[in-house]
Amino acid sequence: MPTQAEEPSARTARFGGIESRRDLIRAIKGDDEEARAAAWQSAENFGASAVKPLADLARDKQPEVARAATRGLWRIVRHCSRPGADDERYAVYTALTGLLSGKNHTQFTRDVLWMLSEIGDELCVKRIAALAANEILREDACLALERIPGDASLNALREILDAAPDAFKPNVAESLRRRGVEIAGIPSAKKTPSKSTAVKPM
Amino acid sequence: MSTSHAGRGTVTRRSFLTISTAALGLPMLIPSRALAAPGANYRLTVAFIGLGGMGNFHLNDMKRFVDSGEVDIAAVCDADEKRLQDAVQKAGPGVTPYRDYRYILDRKDIDAVVISTPDHWHAVQMVHACQTGKHVYVEKPACCTIDEGTAMMNAARDNKVAVQVGSQGRSQPEAYLAHRYLENGVIGRIDTVTCFHYASPGDDQPVPDSEPPAELDWDLWLGPLRWRPYNKKYCHGTFRWLMESGGGQIRDRGAHVMSCAMHWMNADGTAPVSIEATGTQPKKGLWDSCVDMTVTYSFKNPDWTLTWNQPGNPVPKEERTPQEEEISRPGYGAVYHGDKGTFVHWGGDGGTWAERKCREWVPPAGAKDVFKSPGHKEDWFNGIRTSSKTIMNIDAAVGVSDLCNLGNLSFLLGRKLMWDGKNRKVIGDDLANRLLGRPQRYPYCF
Repeated sequence: MPTQAEEPSARTARFGGIESRRDLIRAIKGDDEEARAAAWQSAENFGASAVKPLADLARDKQPEVARAATRGLWRIVRHCSRPGADDERYAVYTALTGLLSGKNHTQFTRDVLWMLSEIGDELCVKRIAALAANEILREDACLALERIPGDASLNALREILDAAPDAFKPNVAESLRRRGVEIAGIPSAKKTPSKSTAVKPM
Repeated sequence: MSTSHAGRGTVTRRSFLTISTAALGLPMLIPSRALAAPGANYRLTVAFIGLGGMGNFHLNDMKRFVDSGEVDIAAVCDADEKRLQDAVQKAGPGVTPYRDYRYILDRKDIDAVVISTPDHWHAVQMVHACQTGKHVYVEKPACCTIDEGTAMMNAARDNKVAVQVGSQGRSQPEAYLAHRYLENGVIGRIDTVTCFHYASPGDDQPVPDSEPPAELDWDLWLGPLRWRPYNKKYCHGTFRWLMESGGGQIRDRGAHVMSCAMHWMNADGTAPVSIEATGTQPKKGLWDSCVDMTVTYSFKNPDWTLTWNQPGNPVPKEERTPQEEEISRPGYGAVYHGDKGTFVHWGGDGGTWAERKCREWVPPAGAKDVFKSPGHKEDWFNGIRTSSKTIMNIDAAVGVSDLCNLGNLSFLLGRKLMWDGKNRKVIGDDLANRLLGRPQRYPYCF
């Protein structure tokens, strides 16, 4: 990533002339691997405005296009987390929160949940918690909530625990324990062996 | 010569077979069943968790201690059934195979474990082993996050077990010579240590996600990591090139080369005050750890700078005579810059080679000596037997892992981190602090 001291002109030159969001998206969609790499590695320069177009490409059928777009999103997320950039961060995580849906590409939604775990706050908790009802996404949703500080995420985890099916309660209980909450009546199986082998001793 | 390692002295290796009653009177870490039978032909009972490249190395290497009557091998464990089958054949009769390491935790007859799983498993398995009273040899790097390191240090201390981390460069003969040379100020006051290492590979031929092979328990392999579909570029071995699981060269060889630096600079227990990284990730493919990378660590009181340079400016290996050990891995090492000269070493892991002028240096009368490891495993056994601090104890190893992990974190965030080593926090950067740990999937969590 460019250092904070780097001049915008130097940054533009360094990243192969990606000067606009349109350049960014065109290069990621295109066939030129060098241009695509230059594009996703400069994505942080475009902030929240690039989130939606990159999210669309992150679900592209071409794996390298999807990968480049996802990595571009990660760069935006990490860049906006810097101290003093709260407005930018708010814009990014608001855009990301809008992408949460159980109907979206599952692996991409997982990525978005983990992005939000890094920069989200109480304003995105409700949307994340809603995914705890989705059997495929609930694990990532709870882990994201575990990481987001504050009472909103903690209360959301408590509510999820109450509503969770028995098989998933230990997962939620563990997230709450990691947040310092004592949970009785739901034993942890962290050290309980459960996977046997077919390999025989000599 | 006087020894500069306070409290270490010159511990000599003694066989577990000949533990004396007097020795048993010491506040030792030997398992209770051994203490109950003083003078008996006690052997340390060991299990192996993770049987890839390093796991197999340790399994083979441990046989010399089996042959000498000091160790019994009780169990082998891997999430890959083919690897497990191979390990059973190598380990021989009487060794129980497990897919799930938690069976080993349940076995009261097992005293110690050797953990050689991918990095993302180290902390969870080490903490669980400590909590069940087992001594631990865990491969380097100790951990993947700052919080994992904290948990590992706490687990070792709270459960009073001996831990050795596999940065075995510290135990190499030429590492002793280098340490002694630098400790005696031959190159003066050192203000800069410049590490060099060749670049990481990129994934130039990416493949699509697929079903895992039948022999691999993918869920168990992932363990604490967030779930994702299997891709054959994740494993085996290549986990190293993923930030989440392997952290790249800086967390692989950095945990060796910077381990030497921290040891020889007597900097264990200290931490940098700032970390600043730049680098370049692969242009495509699954792997995302840095191909090229530069990290600058600034230490205060005493003031010195450590830099990780990938590739940096590699120093050509010195010519050695046929009677001298060849430098077989010259692509990484470090240059130490003092106010009276420089010193170079190559390698830093199982092969650690010191510059000729250091090897030929004859300590004058009154020179300081430094601790000379009897061997990395022997030093671990000493730790188990006598409570002596191992040369790469978990506190020291977490300090080195912190360097690797903070370097990667600074790179990922694209900013300089100001570090409070005492409180293990980034100063003035709440969202960087959020990334000092990461949620672990249940039940693969500590």
